[in-house]
Amino acid sequence: MIQVPLSVGVVAVSALAVAMFPRSVLVFLLFQGSLLFVYRARIPERLRWSLLAAALLVLMPVIGYFNSYYLEVATQVGIFVALALGLNIVVGLAGLLDLGYVAFFAVGAYSWAIFGSPHANIILRGGFPLAGWWFYVFLLVGLAVAATTGILLGLPVLRLHGDYLAIVTLGFGEVIRVLANNLDKPINFTNGPKGITPISRPPTPFGLPYGEYFYFLALLIVVAVVIVNRRLEDSHIGRAWEAIREDEVAARAMGVPLVRMKLMAFACGASFAGVMGVLFSAKQVFINPESFTFLESIGVLAMVILGGMGSIPGAVVGATVVTVLNLQVLKGFSLWLNELKNAGVTVLGYSLADLPTQFEPAKYERMVFGVILVLMMIFRPQGIFPARRRQRELGG
Amino acid sequence: MALFEARRVTKRFGGLTALHRVDFALEQGIASIIGPNGAGKTTLFNIFTGLYAADDGSVTFRGQPLLGLRPDQITALGICRTFQNIRLFSNMTAIENVLVGMNSRIALGLWDVLSHSRRFRRTESHLAARAIALLDRVGLQANANAVARSLPYGDRRRLELARALAPEPALLLLDEPTAGMTQGEAGTLMRLLRGLVADLGLAIILIEHNMRVVMEVSDRVTVLDHGEKIAEGSPREVQENVRVIEAYLGTRGAGPRGARRA
Amino acid sequence: MDVELLIGIFPQVLLDGIILGFMYALIALGYTMVYGVLEFINFAHSEIFIVGAFVGVEVMLGLKSVGLLEGLPWPVVLILVLLAGMAGSGLLAVAVERVAYRPLRNAPRLIPLISAIGISFFLQDMIRLFESLWRNAFNLVYPTLDVLNLRFELTETMDVSVKSLVVIVGALLMLWALHLIVNRTKVGTAIRAVAEDQAAASLMGIDVNRIISLTFLIGGAMGGAAGVLFGVQYGLINPYSGFIPGLKAFTAAVLGGIGNIPGAMVGGLVLGLLEAFAASYLSLLTGGAFGAEYKDILAFSLLILILIFRPKGLLGEVVRERA
Repeated sequence: MIQVPLSVGVVAVSALAVAMFPRSVLVFLLFQGSLLFVYRARIPERLRWSLLAAALLVLMPVIGYFNSYYLEVATQVGIFVALALGLNIVVGLAGLLDLGYVAFFAVGAYSWAIFGSPHANIILRGGFPLAGWWFYVFLLVGLAVAATTGILLGLPVLRLHGDYLAIVTLGFGEVIRVLANNLDKPINFTNGPKGITPISRPPTPFGLPYGEYFYFLALLIVVAVVIVNRRLEDSHIGRAWEAIREDEVAARAMGVPLVRMKLMAFACGASFAGVMGVLFSAKQVFINPESFTFLESIGVLAMVILGGMGSIPGAVVGATVVTVLNLQVLKGFSLWLNELKNAGVTVLGYSLADLPTQFEPAKYERMVFGVILVLMMIFRPQGIFPARRRQRELGG
Repeated sequence: MALFEARRVTKRFGGLTALHRVDFALEQGIASIIGPNGAGKTTLFNIFTGLYAADDGSVTFRGQPLLGLRPDQITALGICRTFQNIRLFSNMTAIENVLVGMNSRIALGLWDVLSHSRRFRRTESHLAARAIALLDRVGLQANANAVARSLPYGDRRRLELARALAPEPALLLLDEPTAGMTQGEAGTLMRLLRGLVADLGLAIILIEHNMRVVMEVSDRVTVLDHGEKIAEGSPREVQENVRVIEAYLGTRGAGPRGARRA
Repeated sequence: MDVELLIGIFPQVLLDGIILGFMYALIALGYTMVYGVLEFINFAHSEIFIVGAFVGVEVMLGLKSVGLLEGLPWPVVLILVLLAGMAGSGLLAVAVERVAYRPLRNAPRLIPLISAIGISFFLQDMIRLFESLWRNAFNLVYPTLDVLNLRFELTETMDVSVKSLVVIVGALLMLWALHLIVNRTKVGTAIRAVAEDQAAASLMGIDVNRIISLTFLIGGAMGGAAGVLFGVQYGLINPYSGFIPGLKAFTAAVLGGIGNIPGAMVGGLVLGLLEAFAASYLSLLTGGAFGAEYKDILAFSLLILILIFRPKGLLGEVVRERA
């Protein structure tokens, strides 16, 4: 029971620390760590969820008020958590390695980008951009379009399995990217590499600033996605997906309709990405194909693998860790190094000012993803928060 | 009309004819299919359950043609099976394995699942109770929450049987259910099967190498050799059939009783 | 539409396609040999290939800095660079197998594939890190040898440069050497035995691990040679420029029937030609509506279609069924 005051204390201390040093990356990491501690601590459920809610609903926006960059980081984390949860259904539960997952994110993003900007005037006749409130409709449109794309892509490829499926989905992802880059002619759908801007933003309730608004919206979507994910997992649908992952032949023989369940996995996974794509395009105001590369697909995969395939808390933690690594640790290291350089610091007789200018630690996302994938596969393929089997009450 | 009837089933793999015009019928009770390794027994099961497409012939269940149906459709019609080399969902618990087997009996939509509707909750608790009952029937109730991979061999066999019963089949296909069991364990299993036939009116087709089991439990026995049916009849008739003796032991020797593992 | 133009550029396009095709074929060999032995897609092969190009450019720049680039006869320079690239890539491939694949050999199939994807990304940034620290630049340009840029005019609309000939001759030599190794030596027999049945091969006294290492060495060396030729032909390289050719070469391997060595050559040539023609003709034939960029879509669509409809490839190597 020592953990009760400990949990409250950790959150309070980290919040206080953030209030005192609003610009310190380390302190922000401490704050995130305290959330993880509370999540894992042995404390009454009600206290756990109150603490987490207080931290995410009150403390985080307060932090964001002092340092909007952190709010941006938190929103990015939210976006990637939803993507990781979506990919987790496809890879973790159903066992289908999808290397082109970001394509669904792109489909969602472009669906709002085209109609939420004057760009649609080029394709259709006049009347665009749509009014801001259409954004909410498009959250559903993005979901539907992405899910449909998932089914359309899934139909021809799902009889492949294992590594062939992986390569084909990679091919699809590349095709979508090349299309996004080149469909500025003969009809200009995507405006090619130049991208689409300005994309409308919805009117915000209570005059919230956009930073806070998108943070709360992302949080809301993440909560919805977690609930949907849990309910799917604990149903005959989730069990059918896992059965397919474990043994396709036996699953079919036990009455699992293979194609339908695989398509459903693709569609569900895609739909999360579609919704977040719509949010992403409104948040960014500008999108171009650069945001939807193979690198992003692998990044999301690394999040799922790091957390643990098939594990919801794993996907959340994995997405957080990887996003924070990329956005804060790498960049923070870059900035810190630059400061040291400018201060003329020497390490073991080597002047840091002599470091080559092309050496930019912030650019090594791929190395982060690569190291995560390889180390996890070799040393801990089940991830840091492995999926736990649900234990059922017996005798009922 | 027989419950289950196969006519002139033929299957070729490349140049090899695995099954040649095999007829098979079952009204009720337990029928065994025996024959040396490679005789085509498992291939026949794979055709019956839709895993392989037959090159020729017909298979009907309650008058409905099965060839061309998908495995899950055939399961939904009321035929389920086990596998020779146990194919459980290794990383799922025993009860989850059984629950997967009930998939074809669940009429819930996506919306029921997402909204946790009353129908959903009722169905889930009903399914769980049924799954426990099935595990109880095969003597695995205490292990319901154990991960399948961690169960000992004999328990895995019995779990596979419980899973095969989950879709409420009218016809059960068991591929060497006693393989690797002691004579005592095999006897217990056979009493269980007899009980299923008596209680639930199940019909069972058995592929078996343990001749004592076959002779004790079967109502009828079919003998395959090199993809062809060479004999059929009551256990006694088959035991005395000259072609069967030849197939098992070459040209001389006693009955198949001596050939526990052909 | 200018029919005369279409016909006029035909021979040049054909030649470009053949060069590209040989490049793909050389890279595809690495994929196909490893697949033949382990039934595993060595996703990192695209980086093993580009490492060859970087080793090559480093050797050339090194020679240049000591004045030997002009001092040595140019064929000697080329052979030196080629050997260095092959050695670098071959050894790297062996090391990668030892570290990232061997511990996972009995794991479920997707596990080593994910590990390979990780290695691929890791190597890209390692090259970048190394070159950034070493040269403060990671987009490198192959030093030119004047003789390589000489062009022969074959017809009025078609010419061929010395470096293109080098690529073709180099590729043919490599393929011929590989053919000899695989079909005429004891090592080749052992490789084929391991590909056929690992357990049986080890019972026959073949050291399976050694043979697998050797397969990676040979496949990697072919990739390294391709890397050097790629640098010589196209000049500019960066740590990420291996990825797309790698994916195309994998397509070529699948096209020819993965696991099948002659298939990789055929697949490479077919894909190279297809791409060269798409790049030159698509824009002309569609009045500019679809440009050369669509050659990538063509290649990836081809990959998808083959995997779906003819996974055994053109030459029909048997792909063993697996769960």
